[in-house]
Amino acid sequence: MELVVALGLIVFKVALLIAILLLLPLPLTWLERKIAGRMQQRMGPMRVGWHGLLQPVADGVKLLTKEDHIPAEADRFLFKLAPILALAPPFVVFVAVPFGESVSVLGTEITLYVSNMNVALLFVFAVIGIEVYGVIFGGWAANSKYAVLGSLRTCAQMISYEIPMGFAVIGVVMLAQSMSLLDIVRAQANVWNIVYQPVGFFVFFVAGLAESQRIPFDLAEAEGDLGAGFHTEYSGIRFAFFMVSEYAIMLLTSVLAVILFFGGWNGVLVPLPPLVWFVLKVAFFVYVFIWFRFTFPRYRYDQLMAIGWKVLLPLSMANIIITGVAFL
Amino acid sequence: MSRALDRIGTWIGWAFFADLANGLALTFGYMFSKSVTMQYPDKEKWLPYSRYRGHHFLKRDEEGEIKCVACELCARICPCYCIEVIPYEDEKGNRRPAKFEIDMARCLFCGLCEDACPADAIALGQQYEFSSFSSRDLVIGRDDLLGKPGKAMTGGGVVAARLNTEQDVLVETSEPQGYNWWRNIRRT
Ligand code: SF4
Ligand code: SF4
Repeated sequence: MELVVALGLIVFKVALLIAILLLLPLPLTWLERKIAGRMQQRMGPMRVGWHGLLQPVADGVKLLTKEDHIPAEADRFLFKLAPILALAPPFVVFVAVPFGESVSVLGTEITLYVSNMNVALLFVFAVIGIEVYGVIFGGWAANSKYAVLGSLRTCAQMISYEIPMGFAVIGVVMLAQSMSLLDIVRAQANVWNIVYQPVGFFVFFVAGLAESQRIPFDLAEAEGDLGAGFHTEYSGIRFAFFMVSEYAIMLLTSVLAVILFFGGWNGVLVPLPPLVWFVLKVAFFVYVFIWFRFTFPRYRYDQLMAIGWKVLLPLSMANIIITGVAFL
Repeated sequence: MSRALDRIGTWIGWAFFADLANGLALTFGYMFSKSVTMQYPDKEKWLPYSRYRGHHFLKRDEEGEIKCVACELCARICPCYCIEVIPYEDEKGNRRPAKFEIDMARCLFCGLCEDACPADAIALGQQYEFSSFSSRDLVIGRDDLLGKPGKAMTGGGVVAARLNTEQDVLVETSEPQGYNWWRNIRRT
């Protein structure tokens, strides 16, 4: 009986998580377009529903009813595999992400995470690395020069930014003496990591921007020079997969930034429920992502590489060394 | 000296991403400014200036007679050959157009016909909503041209309006001027 309840709970949590992650891109696209509009003194979507609220639904219907086109020269198997490879890892990663301690419903304590792995951080970085394959396969299988160029760029970008990103969080791991995201948040109950690790946060955030391929590092899908980059040849539902994956990664980066550096669900000053604090912080980071997108131009490719290897990597190394020395 | 200070200032600014922060502050400021979108045609409509070159109209003189003397100068100067005038002599012995047709599908709204007319009979008015599903409907005859709205008296404003699929966009407002669209443009 116990086992059944526990299993049922896990299944329920996973289902809820998937539902939320699948549905969140809808309001997020709306928000992104609205914010973009406001920043450019436009109104954004206004026609479908009140202030265009139903616009994402209309777009979704449009994407689902469009022809799912596969280019004649494409590698059909990889072409079909790529969107799934791009979509699955961001979803899987959220299994290891805690959203709070626990809430009690009907007298039973329900933890706000699916699993509390002791190597959660490692798991997150390992799984999110797989997402790159989706992008690379997608670009390769389409057999189009724009797509290949886009995925080549992604390949190089991911390799150069995953390293400083990994190094940046080592400082956090040292402070919490644990790789479990839960312990990392608990260690920040009094002082958030951002106080001790401003450089670490900077490196993490910039690398996170690059990882989620948002402006100013969206070279993989640079509209101006590559058509649409690796998903140039994708249409319909498969394109939607890539979109959802992009938003999920943006969300993941925000969630990680909050958990690792901004105290997770620990609040300050205003006593709000932990979950509310968490959501607020994540929302702030998502806003920052959107804000950046409509402020900065795209970096040139060599600049991107220079930033990754010549700035972020030394910075993250120095951060580790300084943290270590401070520990001694 | 000040040059060196400037350079140090630039360097410090660069180190702390002052340029990026400036950009962010600017877009953040813009986010709270009013939008300049004109919600045409559902909610708002633009009033053209009096210099606007819209749909042609033919004028009448004080006695209500058509001013055109069918000299065909407009037809001659028109770069698109879209005006066709056939003259006749009316009861009073005046030369008038029996047929005056403009093919709006070909017209490029250059306004040369207005400039060429010796009798000040034709001009380009304020109407700009006359799209059609058939190019044949865009050939406008003399009597229709006489009924078209003339030059705008005011203009440069945005007024409340409502989309009526049968007819045009209906202007619905008490103030004839509307608001000045330029008021929301940010000039820094
Ligand atoms: S506006 Fe120009 S193109 Fe149009 S009818 Fe007059 S002369 Fe011809
Ligand atoms: S509109 Fe003017 S230019 Fe044209 S035929 Fe009449 S009088 Fe002549």
